[in-house]
Amino acid sequence: MFVGLKQRAGSGDAVRRRNKIKRFTASDAVLLFILAVFAILILYPFYNALLVSIVPNTVYLRNQSLMIIPPKISLDAYNFTFKSSLIWIGYRNSLLITVFGVIYNMLLTVLCAYPMTKSFPGRKFVRFFIVFTIYFSGGLIPYYLLIKDLHLMDSLAVMVLPTGLNIMFMLIICQYFQSLPSSLEESAKIDGAGDFTVLLRIILPLSLPLLATFTLYYAVDRWNEWYNAMLFVKTVEKWPLQNVLRTIINDIQFMATQNIPGQQRPDVQGDAIKMSSIIVSMVPMMCLYPFLQRYFLSGLTLGAVKE
Amino acid sequence: MSADSVTIGKVKKSVFQFSRLRREILQYKWIYLMLLLPLAFFVVFRYMPLYGIQLAFKDYKLAGIKASVWNNYEHFKYMFLEPGFLPAFRNTLIISFMRILIGFPFPIILALMINEVRMARLRRVFQTIYTFPHFLSWVLLAGIMLNLMGSTGMMRRIVGLFSPEMSDNWNFLYDGGTFRWLLVLSDMWKEAGWGTIIYLASIAGIDQALYESTEIDGANRLQKIWYITLPGIISMIAIQFVLRVGAIMEGGFDQVFNLYTPPVYAMGDIIDTYIYRLSFVRASGVNLGFPTAVGLFKNIINFILLIAANGVCRMLGQKTVL
Repeated sequence: MFVGLKQRAGSGDAVRRRNKIKRFTASDAVLLFILAVFAILILYPFYNALLVSIVPNTVYLRNQSLMIIPPKISLDAYNFTFKSSLIWIGYRNSLLITVFGVIYNMLLTVLCAYPMTKSFPGRKFVRFFIVFTIYFSGGLIPYYLLIKDLHLMDSLAVMVLPTGLNIMFMLIICQYFQSLPSSLEESAKIDGAGDFTVLLRIILPLSLPLLATFTLYYAVDRWNEWYNAMLFVKTVEKWPLQNVLRTIINDIQFMATQNIPGQQRPDVQGDAIKMSSIIVSMVPMMCLYPFLQRYFLSGLTLGAVKE
Repeated sequence: MSADSVTIGKVKKSVFQFSRLRREILQYKWIYLMLLLPLAFFVVFRYMPLYGIQLAFKDYKLAGIKASVWNNYEHFKYMFLEPGFLPAFRNTLIISFMRILIGFPFPIILALMINEVRMARLRRVFQTIYTFPHFLSWVLLAGIMLNLMGSTGMMRRIVGLFSPEMSDNWNFLYDGGTFRWLLVLSDMWKEAGWGTIIYLASIAGIDQALYESTEIDGANRLQKIWYITLPGIISMIAIQFVLRVGAIMEGGFDQVFNLYTPPVYAMGDIIDTYIYRLSFVRASGVNLGFPTAVGLFKNIINFILLIAANGVCRMLGQKTVL
């Protein structure tokens, strides 16, 4: 409780505040109860998915997944999921487009954000040129025909190249660059450093926490990619994980027929396979999220806080 | 004599201005070089599609955009006769209004509640849990939801405990009436935590001295929220509200597309899913000009709404991007 008070004590009489003991009142109890209920509402669907994936078929049919603790555990569904090549293909492709996508996204974002802090001739026009694309776009068919004309159909590149940069992220980073003390840059320029050197040696090292956050956001976006793949990628071997998941969720037979040739479909119910695939594809996020939550939770308020 | 010198002066001046511009451009040459790559991206993937918009006024031919022939606004005349268009348009508006009415206040209330938790660590735990679903895709979450709400799911069992009759006629996912609620509530479930971040940051910016002085005046917790916290974030609420209203034509393609099924098309189909099905799901030989026209119609309304929202935000004293 003191931790909370200390953080909240602002410019006022901090000593007096700290000495004042706040009691845990009924309103606190009600508040915590409501918040805890909502937290359970958030988490339970995931726990339920885990349960469905690990109970044997007979238990599932009897209980219809209304369980708190699994009465019996069977890893058949995971066996099936891991054996399918489709999940691993999805993992590999998603990993590839995430790695290359994030590099590409961050490169474009930084190369756009840094120049926008300079008052070069034509800056206003460039800004308008970029921001206009938030307000107006061609729509689905023109986009589809463009990708076709560029011969990007059915390639991994179609899940990376059109993502480009997020304008909001870019503007926030730009705002942050502007808030850095200009004296550092000026003295480097006097020593003969060019714009690229200044960006690499001074600006970027000073913005690492911010860049980390946006790298993470881009990574999440690329990892969750499915839209471009659905529109343009027909070859199963090039699907990212989300599209593999979509197919498993919508069409469980697909998995059985595509992946274990010559082998009979095991006696695992479809829901367990769906949920085990979902759990498997959530693993990277579940591993990263608790440790990087500071970056995940900074949100888009980063630019604003600085002011 | 004097006229000549004036002319010379003018010429000199313009030459001077020109050389200054050239000098400035040269001075910023590396800056322009840096911009080359991002601008190339915008030209190729954001501006080149605009060329294809002309298909909205043409009959599409496989030979390409150029080879297609103008058709005298046929698509726009046909739009209001097409049986799927008006329902999709109406659904988009209804679902958006439901999201604003119910979904918009929720993160604000949640932020106010989180802010009242006295232990900083517990606040952090709640926030971490609430924000988690934001980072997962609708593909994955729809999979979980469909299982939860489906015929073999937990919801049916829980409802069955109270009303066996409802459980026997379980049709939650395929009923148009409940489908919209599923959209609104599952979106709140996914995005509420993320939505609180901006309000919590805004609350953190309120001067603590205000709370102390009301405490001396004997204000209780609710009074402090009502008279200090809420007025402190009201401008942020207003801006978020305006931006939300500006995005009313966006019905949430990812969510709807992954959750809906043919039985709920009548109630759950939004413009974006309608355009998608027009373009790719219907029998081959569909005129791609028509979905282009529907997309253009949507984008123009969207454009006007966004510009208006932007203008209102500026009136509220917020710096805007355009």
